[in-house]
This record gives sequence, C-alpha cells and structure tokens, in this order.
Amino acid sequence: MLEIQGLSKKYGKHLAVDQVNLSVPDGKIGILLGPNGAGKSTIIKSIAGLLRYQGMIKIQGNPAKTLEAKKQFAYVPEIPAMFDALTVREHIEYMRRAYDSTITDGEVEELLKRFELDDKQEKLGNELSKGMMQKVSICCALCVHPKVILLDEPMVGLDPKAIKELKEVILELKEQNVTVLISTHMLEMVEDIWDIMFVMEKSHIIGAYRKEDVGNKDLDDLFFELTGGEKE
Amino acid sequence: MKALMYLTKRSFVNSIKKAVKKPVTLIALIFGVAYGIFLFAMLAGLAVGVRFNSSSGLVIIMTLWAIYITLSNFMMYSSRKGVIFRPAHTHFVFTAPINPKLILLHGAWMNYVFSVIVWIILAVAGLTVFQVEPWKVGLFFLAGCVLETVLEVSVMVTIYANDRLPEKLMKGICRGIKILLIAITIVIVLYFRKEGISMESARGFIDWKGLQIFPVVGWSIAVYRLILLGPDMLNIVCSILYMLTVFFMAGLAVKMDCGGGYYEDAAKFADDYADMKKRKKNGEMVMGIEKKKKKFRKISETIQASGAKAIFYRQLLEYKKEKYFIFSKISVFCLFFGVFFAYAMRKNAIESGYPQMFLLGMAAYISLVMTGYLGKWENELKTPYLFMIPDSAFKKLWYSTLIEHIKALVDGSLLCIPMGFFWKIQPVYVILCILIYTALQANRMYTKVIAQCLVGDVLGKTGQNLVRACIQMTVLGMGAIVAVLIGIFVNMNLIFPILLIYSIMVTVAVGLLASLRFGSMEQLT
Repeated sequence: MLEIQGLSKKYGKHLAVDQVNLSVPDGKIGILLGPNGAGKSTIIKSIAGLLRYQGMIKIQGNPAKTLEAKKQFAYVPEIPAMFDALTVREHIEYMRRAYDSTITDGEVEELLKRFELDDKQEKLGNELSKGMMQKVSICCALCVHPKVILLDEPMVGLDPKAIKELKEVILELKEQNVTVLISTHMLEMVEDIWDIMFVMEKSHIIGAYRKEDVGNKDLDDLFFELTGGEKE
Repeated sequence: MKALMYLTKRSFVNSIKKAVKKPVTLIALIFGVAYGIFLFAMLAGLAVGVRFNSSSGLVIIMTLWAIYITLSNFMMYSSRKGVIFRPAHTHFVFTAPINPKLILLHGAWMNYVFSVIVWIILAVAGLTVFQVEPWKVGLFFLAGCVLETVLEVSVMVTIYANDRLPEKLMKGICRGIKILLIAITIVIVLYFRKEGISMESARGFIDWKGLQIFPVVGWSIAVYRLILLGPDMLNIVCSILYMLTVFFMAGLAVKMDCGGGYYEDAAKFADDYADMKKRKKNGEMVMGIEKKKKKFRKISETIQASGAKAIFYRQLLEYKKEKYFIFSKISVFCLFFGVFFAYAMRKNAIESGYPQMFLLGMAAYISLVMTGYLGKWENELKTPYLFMIPDSAFKKLWYSTLIEHIKALVDGSLLCIPMGFFWKIQPVYVILCILIYTALQANRMYTKVIAQCLVGDVLGKTGQNLVRACIQMTVLGMGAIVAVLIGIFVNMNLIFPILLIYSIMVTVAVGLLASLRFGSMEQLT
C-alpha cells in the first residue's frame, strides 16, 4: 500500500506540491494525471526518496525513506539513466544484489525475453537507445519483486509490442497484490487498466475517482470534466 | 555495500576493456603520464633553481596546500558539490535500499584515489627533491594521507548527511570560506609586494605564528611543521588540537543519522555535471559545472529575410535577446589581454622598433588559443532545419557563420586597439591586424568543419582539434613564411597586406571545401 498525507514541496519560493493526500491500496493500479507543471513529477520523486519534502509518505506502512520501505519499492523514472560502463545484464545483477532479490537466473532470462532484451544482455549502458534504456529500467524495477511500483511515463519511447507487454506485466503485478502508481499523459494507454485515478492541477489534487464508481465513463471525459479542457 | 562494490568493480573492468579496444584512450593515457612526469621533473628543477629544495620548501608548499586545497574542499562540501554522482546514481542507487551514508562514502572514491596519488607524489618529492629523511617522509605521508583524508571524509559526511543544518547556514559557510580565501590571497599578494619574492620572504610569511593558530587549517600546518622542521611548543599544541579535531569529526560522522536528504542536491549536481561533460565533449570551453539559466530580453521583431539569409537574421535576433548582445566572455578575455599586454609588453614592443610585429604575433597567438569557443553556428549543423532550407550549401555556410565574423571583428578590435594605442602603432597596421585576426578566426571555424568531416567520431573531439590545428598551422604557416621572407628581403611594410590577402584567400578556399558539409546531414552521423 502507498499512502501520502499532507505532502508539500517547495522549490525556492515556488510551491510545487501543496498538501497532497492520496493512497493506493494493495493490488490496485493508481494513475496520476495532470497537465505539464501540475506537480506529478515532484510527487513521484518525493515517493522515490529523491527530494526533501514536508508531510508523510508510507510504503507498506513504513516511512518511504527507510530501508524497509525501499526494499519493497521499485521505481521507473521518466528519463532512464544507465551506467555507461555496465552491461544490461550487469544492471540487473546490481539490482539483485542491492535489493537482495530472490529472482532466479531463469526468471531474469524470461523477463529479458519478454522485453526483447535477451540478445542485448552484453550491450553497455551507453550503447543503448532511449527505448532500450526504458526497457532495461522496467526490467530492473521488476527483478526486485516489489510490493509497490512507481512508473513515471513508462510508455514513452517504447515500441507497440513493449507497450502491450508492459500493460500485461502491470496487470500481472495487480494479480500478485502489488500496488502500482503510474504517472502519465497518455490517457489511452491506461484506459483499460486503471483502478483509481488522481487528477492534479496547479500543485493540488483536484479530483479522484474509483473505477467502480464511474461505470463505463471514458477516462478522458473524466479528466476533462475536472481540468475544464475539451476532448479532441 | 556488496552492490556498490559490484558496481565499481564491473564499471572499472568494463572501462579498462573498452580502453584497450580504443587505442586513442591508451595513447592519451600514456601522454598524460609522460606529461605528468615531465611536469614533475620541471617543477623539481625549478625548486632546485630557486633553492627551494629543503624541508622548509616542502613546508611552504604544504602551507599553501592546506590553505587553498583544504579550504576549497570544505567549500565544495558545504555547497554539497564535492562528491561526483551521475544521473544513473539518481536512478539506481539513491532509490535502492542502501544506507545513504554508505552511498556517500562510496560516491567519493575518486576523491580518495586522487588524495592517495597526490600524497604519493608529495612523498616522492619529499625524498628526492626536498631531501627529507625517509622516516620523516613516512610520518608525513601517514599524517597527510590518513589524517587529512579522515578529516575530509568526516567533514563531507557531516555536511552532506546533516539534514538539520539550514540551507542558509550552509550557504553562509560557503560564502565565508570564499571571502576568507580571497582575503588570504590579498594578504599574500600585499605581503610579497612589500617584501619581494624570495625564499627569505616566503619563509618569513610561513613562519608567522598566527598562521598555525588558525583553527583546523592552521593546526594541520602545525603537524607538517612538527614532522618536517622539528618540535616547538606551538606546533606541538596545535598538532594535538588537530588530532583531537580529526577524532571528534570522525566520531561525529559515525554517529550522525542520515536519511538521504542530500539526494536532492546530489541529483541536481549529477545532472549539471553530466551536462557539463556533454558540453565539454562537444568541444565547448566550460568554465563551471553549473549552467545558469539564461534570461532573455523581449524583442518585438520578425525575421523578414528568406532562404539562407534567414539563418543570419535568426541568429541576430537571438543575440539581440541576449543580455550583452554579441559580447561574450571571449570579448572580455580579448579586452583583458589587450590591455594587459599593452601595459606589460609596452617597453619591449616600442624599443624593438617594430611594435606592429608584436601586435601581429599577439593577435595570431590569441586566435590560435581560442580553440574551445563555440558560437551559434556550430549548433546549426546539429539541426535538420539547416539542411532543409532551399538554398546553396555555400550560402548556408556563409550566413550561418556571418555573425561569427562580425563577432571576431569586434573581439579583434578589443584586443588590438589597446595595444595599438599604447604601443603607438600606425592605425593602418592596427586595422590590418584586426582584419587578419578576423580572417584567422574564420579560417579556424572552416578548418574545424573540414576536420570534422575528415576524422568524424573516430578520434573524438580531441582528435578533430588536433587535425584542425595541423591543417591550419600548415596552411597558414606557409603564408607566414612567405610573408616574412618578402618582409626581410623586399619590404617590411608588405608583411601585413600579404598576410591579410593570403589568409583571406586560404579562408575562402577552406570555406568552399567546408560548405560541402552544409549540403547533407548524413556526413557526420
């Protein structure tokens, strides 16, 4: 479970996130939507422990900055950054060691195969295209068997097959009772997988919906109802 | 920790493997080591030459080291910029379940390696150049390498890990150290101006007792004095204070809780550092790690030119929006050198009877030195829009670089006019010199494009610069030899016009060749 209470973050005088509360229960897929500059990335980075903030963030009941919380948490950033001198396989190996992951070699092989990286295992970080880096980043996050996973614009740069695969992986994680939070602009990509949506605007969460409460209503209709924009 | 060790080990092994496959890296490494040895030998010779080769000489060096390097390190740590992390650390390490203090200690491994190398060099210098007894060198190495590193690491951990220290206090410490360094420099300059530069005056300054009483930095100087010069009451007391400080700081660092609050600053620094490396790789002259966000003026103007001419007017509009228009750091640099050399070389230039030749030499030298400067034109080649403009390649080259020629003309004026004025050179020679400087700058730009085409990415930016310098020196060198010969055997007054006409002709020819690069984007990729 992911819980955020009274999260605020200031960059100098600019209040990027103001008193945000949200929670995503176990086995649910939360999506964080909002226009550019709304504060989504700040929330994501705060959860990942990369920012100083005010308020409380808990992962599986543990404060997000503790090692217990981090052990159960995985993060896929919007812009992946690889170690130049580490191969794809070595990135995975590093994650295995850092998280004391129980993933087996066979499972790693399977994972790399799913994202078409099995033949690129010996490629160095600085030899990868942006799309490939994104795939490695996703595989690294999955290989730690997280209880909570955070994906920031995970579909950007991925080819259609990888997007399809990623959606399947996210649904599998849900079945395994993993908490998923996805921040994205691409509404159509998360249309059929979300359980809870949070819409942000100007540093605040301006609305939240549960799928079971809105019936068959379109995701973009709900989004534009809240943000006041028009569906194209 | 095992994950971090794995990370370092694999990165090191892979980098070595890559370097072995790429001979350029190995050649650069060999050259680097050879240059280091040459520099060491040269400095050692200099130390012997000025009778600096004794324990006192080493104490003087260590005093300056303690003041500048130690304080600079403290300043870097107080702004949380002393440890280099990469964007990949933000992605994979800061988010991992690893103690933030361990990450910090591991992140600074380059600092330890650097520190050990410096202390080995100092120990070798102590034995060979400064003639210090081996047991003293051993103690000196231990005190420096161990105590100073422990203190540095403790300060680093205490400052980075402490989330409770207010940001304003940290900025205050940083500013305070900066002011202190400037103040010390002024005191040193004023002292040596008054006393003159000699071993005796240097010793007089170093022996000043107040220096050792100065907390931490002064105390570390006392340790070096105790080991190298022998005990006295002051250096014994100050050395004890230094040891106590090291133990106290180490204890504080061990006890301090760290929740990873520094990740925010470290991640920002990692991005800035990666950006700086990228700019450096592109051949840009980088002055600092942090790139300040540029502010632009509001200009309500539209570009009305068409074809390749639009490139020039777009660049002009961009420059109009900039704070100092076409004036850059290079302009300041040219003006500074113009005024500096005008004053410093005035006597020699005027007494020679040919001050115009001095001016020409300075203009040529500065033009060759400015290799790291990138104008807007180089970015043109990186965008596909340039290649899509329906105009000839030569026109695109001309209009992409036209503003750079104007800038070179302005910078050349800033460089040559002060020297021309103070050295009482006829205006016609000054004008010719400015034009030659402009032509040389244009030549450099176009030769760079040719070097890029010839070498591509095989030898990297350094290789490209080397090839450019070779081409430029060969082509221009021939002209210079011809001009000098005509000057000696026919008429000295002909040197300037011959050089100008020759460099313009060569530049046009090189420009025509370089324009091929503006025809298609494919050539470099």
